[in-house]
Amino acid sequence: MAHAQNRYLADLRDVHFLLFEQFRLGELLADPVFGGMDEATARMIVAESYDFARQVLGPLNEVGDREGCRLEGGAVRTPSGFRDAWQKLYEAGWKTLRVSPDHGGQGAPALLTVMVEEFLSGANTAFNMYPGLALGAAEVIAEYGTPEQKRAYLEPMYHGTFGGTMCLTEPHAGSDVGAARTRAEPRPDGTFLISGTKSFISGGDHDLAQNIVHLVLARVDGSPPGTKGLSLFIVPKLRLDGTPNDVVVAGLEHKMGIHGSATCLLNFGENGGCIGELLGGPPGLNQGIRQMFQLMNSARISVGIQGLAVASSAYLNALRYARERKQGPSIRHFKDPTAPRVPILQHADVRRMLLDMKARVEGIRALVAKLARHMDLARLSQGKDDQAHAYHLGQVELLTPIVKAYGSDQGFRVCEMAIQTLGGAGYIRDYGIEQYCRDAKIFSIYEGTNHIQAMDLVGRKLGLAGGAHLQRFLGDIGSFTRAQAGHPVLGPSVAVLGRAAEAVASTTLRLLDWFQGGRLEQVPLVANRFLEMMGETAVGWLLLEQASLALARLQELPPTHPDRSFYEGKRYAAVYFAQNVLPGVEDKARVLASEDRSALDIPDAAFAQV
Amino acid sequence: MKILVTVKRVPDPEQKIKLKDDRIDLSAANWQLNQFDEYAVEAALRLTEDARNPATRLGEVTVVSLGPAEVQQQLRAALAMGADKAVRVDSRDEDLDADIVARTVEKLVRRDSPDLVLMGKLAADNEGNEVGQRLAGYLGWPQATFASIIEVVEGGKALLVGREVDAGVEMKKVRLPAVVTVDLRIVAPQAIKNGRTPPDHAYPEGPRYASLKGIMAAKKKPIEELTLAQLAIQPTLRVRTVSVRLPPPRKAGIKVSSVQELVDKLHNEAKVI
Ligand SMILES: Cc1cc2nc3c(=O)[nH]c(=O)nc-3n(C[C@H](O)[C@H](O)[C@H](O)COP(=O)(O)OP(=O)(O)OC[C@H]3O[C@@H](n4cnc5c(N)ncnc54)[C@H](O)[C@@H]3O)c2cc1C
Repeated sequence: MAHAQNRYLADLRDVHFLLFEQFRLGELLADPVFGGMDEATARMIVAESYDFARQVLGPLNEVGDREGCRLEGGAVRTPSGFRDAWQKLYEAGWKTLRVSPDHGGQGAPALLTVMVEEFLSGANTAFNMYPGLALGAAEVIAEYGTPEQKRAYLEPMYHGTFGGTMCLTEPHAGSDVGAARTRAEPRPDGTFLISGTKSFISGGDHDLAQNIVHLVLARVDGSPPGTKGLSLFIVPKLRLDGTPNDVVVAGLEHKMGIHGSATCLLNFGENGGCIGELLGGPPGLNQGIRQMFQLMNSARISVGIQGLAVASSAYLNALRYARERKQGPSIRHFKDPTAPRVPILQHADVRRMLLDMKARVEGIRALVAKLARHMDLARLSQGKDDQAHAYHLGQVELLTPIVKAYGSDQGFRVCEMAIQTLGGAGYIRDYGIEQYCRDAKIFSIYEGTNHIQAMDLVGRKLGLAGGAHLQRFLGDIGSFTRAQAGHPVLGPSVAVLGRAAEAVASTTLRLLDWFQGGRLEQVPLVANRFLEMMGETAVGWLLLEQASLALARLQELPPTHPDRSFYEGKRYAAVYFAQNVLPGVEDKARVLASEDRSALDIPDAAFAQV
Repeated sequence: MKILVTVKRVPDPEQKIKLKDDRIDLSAANWQLNQFDEYAVEAALRLTEDARNPATRLGEVTVVSLGPAEVQQQLRAALAMGADKAVRVDSRDEDLDADIVARTVEKLVRRDSPDLVLMGKLAADNEGNEVGQRLAGYLGWPQATFASIIEVVEGGKALLVGREVDAGVEMKKVRLPAVVTVDLRIVAPQAIKNGRTPPDHAYPEGPRYASLKGIMAAKKKPIEELTLAQLAIQPTLRVRTVSVRLPPPRKAGIKVSSVQELVDKLHNEAKVI
């Protein structure tokens, strides 16, 4: 077995700040919907789940990376220790935090759940995918399944007896899900014979659970082409009577990162014996994409959290290293060869990198928390306050592709910067940072590439409800900038935020103009950049909100209080981001306004003759 | 079996120690349950359950701590692991020494008459390793320290305790009631035999994690709050901390060119051989 040492680190003080100061979990917990949890319990959940992540999952992160998964006799074997961790995870119950009490869960707020998810993903991204997919698939069955389907599958999937997968991708149908060819042939008893090949299926096979429940997108004979003709099928690896269901692992991918997560090529019905049930029974016919979206939305948020989680640990590890590693004198004594060597933390460029990482990590964590709070408030206002409900749901819609794409993109870049911070030590294996970087790259690709997210944002989310979601988002920023414009410390940064929000607003109008003026093809060219503008604006806003809370707290705290440095950090992170990153939003708006079409106009042959 | 387990909060041993005014500066300490006390809680739970059906309690475990209100957090953590109830005796860390702690626990033991007091062999803050021995003395009970094996024998009237000693493991039988302090290996998979759990049962290595269910249940378990005065404890310190200093920084090493020189230096300079 490779090194079994935990490297995972998270900043619990920041988590507490989000939960108890910025996003006020206590207000949510007051509602009986959340099962009578109190703040002290929430604190304990944070502490214990973090401990669990560090002690059980963390030590297996490098083990999983070195050993990877193996295909032996048609079955996948996960790395050493994964089975034991799976069992411990379900005994501890961390995967049932948000599950309804009707199914033995806690029904906890999303705001709390996302923090726990960050720990589990950050400590061992590859491992956490198995239970994450099981939970996601179960939630789809909970939402759309027939009573019998729920009875048969929910309990075992929530509690670790069964795993789960989502099977969308096929070799020729990646981003273009509608091109799926997997067939479902009706059988007289109402079930279906499934046949086809699914590729890149995470957790497609493993040795962690007794059974694996595949949710398979397939086309029933006679259904229309494209996404409209896809239905979702429950296809267990073993039928409920225990006999094999003709699901064959045809291959296992070798890949850049997340080696501990089995990425499988699955053949369904190679021997004509793969039986699936239509999710939700006959009314589920051709509803597959709509149903799958439920899973995809929560999975997309989870991917954003994966990016955040890994980046956060990469940052904190880099910080630790920078405090210890001595190299070179202070620039003030650069001519004196006998000047003492200083920790690299004292060098301006290292400080810049660390503060950059800190701002991005803490800002994205705040964005995730904000999205989660909107989810909770949408749940609380349902059936009670339609306007509030629509508002919160709208923000969830709007922010989901941003959390997924901005979180995953930045997550990778932070990991890359963490490597740079360590220098050579970052590039070699011994410090674990290069693994973070390799693991993090997939986040911008699966669950819909980040370009697909950007197109979802500009092509769908901006236009939803007549553009109301974006207007409310910008309106909320406007309220903040107006209220804080005269802030003695943050005022100038708040002004930059105001200009960034204006740049987002004016760019939206420009995009609308393109949509309406027949210049559709220009939209995808800038979609990713626009998503980044929104991500940066949101993060800049939330960091400044944190800073204004923090500065208020600093006024109350005695000069020696240990919490002071935490709050000071909030101020510097916010001002750094506002002064160094947010101006880029206006810049991007200008670039976008130039309407440069080079990438469209360049003849295919002009790229290169290869 | 009724078991009383003492627990103490200690600053995270991984944190760097900072000094201020000749004292350890604890203002930014991350407090946690002393590891050996956590092992004692685990041992107590294993003694009072049938591992095949741990939800049904076969005994009662009470955790006790002396400390400020924040110690509730560590007590809740022990309750979340599965302990049944808790007692907190209000006090400030700087007002305690091993003797006051031992006499306070003695009072509680006389009040509640447990069959067994389980304790960590020492607390990771000052590594005192005193309270268990003093307590047994005050109570006039048999004691077994540094336990790495506990087996319930004679129909629950005695314990066979394996003690970690330099030469190996020494087996001792103590009649109950008794005081036992535990060592690291008490949380090995088969370190405890309680006569109910099948003897071949293997626990996972280490203390159990607080489960989500355990945390939710802990909220409803009672924590009794007492003061030293209520227990009629004279809070006179016998041991006072005068000052604390960090060890001097280590001197840089030197390279020797031959084995002969090494032996020479070890003999003449370091005077270790
Ligand atoms: C490790 C791993 C795990 C995975 N796990 C799962 C899983 O569990 N279940 C599952 O179903 N799938 C899974 N996938 C598949 C994953 O979701 C797809 O790889 C992803 O959706 C992209 O599809 P593709 O690889 O076919 O790339 P393509 O779709 O071929 O895309 C290639 C490039 O073209 C761009 N592109 C494609 N179409 C368009 C378009 N219309 N407009 C503009 N640009 C476009 C993409 O953005 C991308 O840059 C996994 C993949 C990997 C690598």
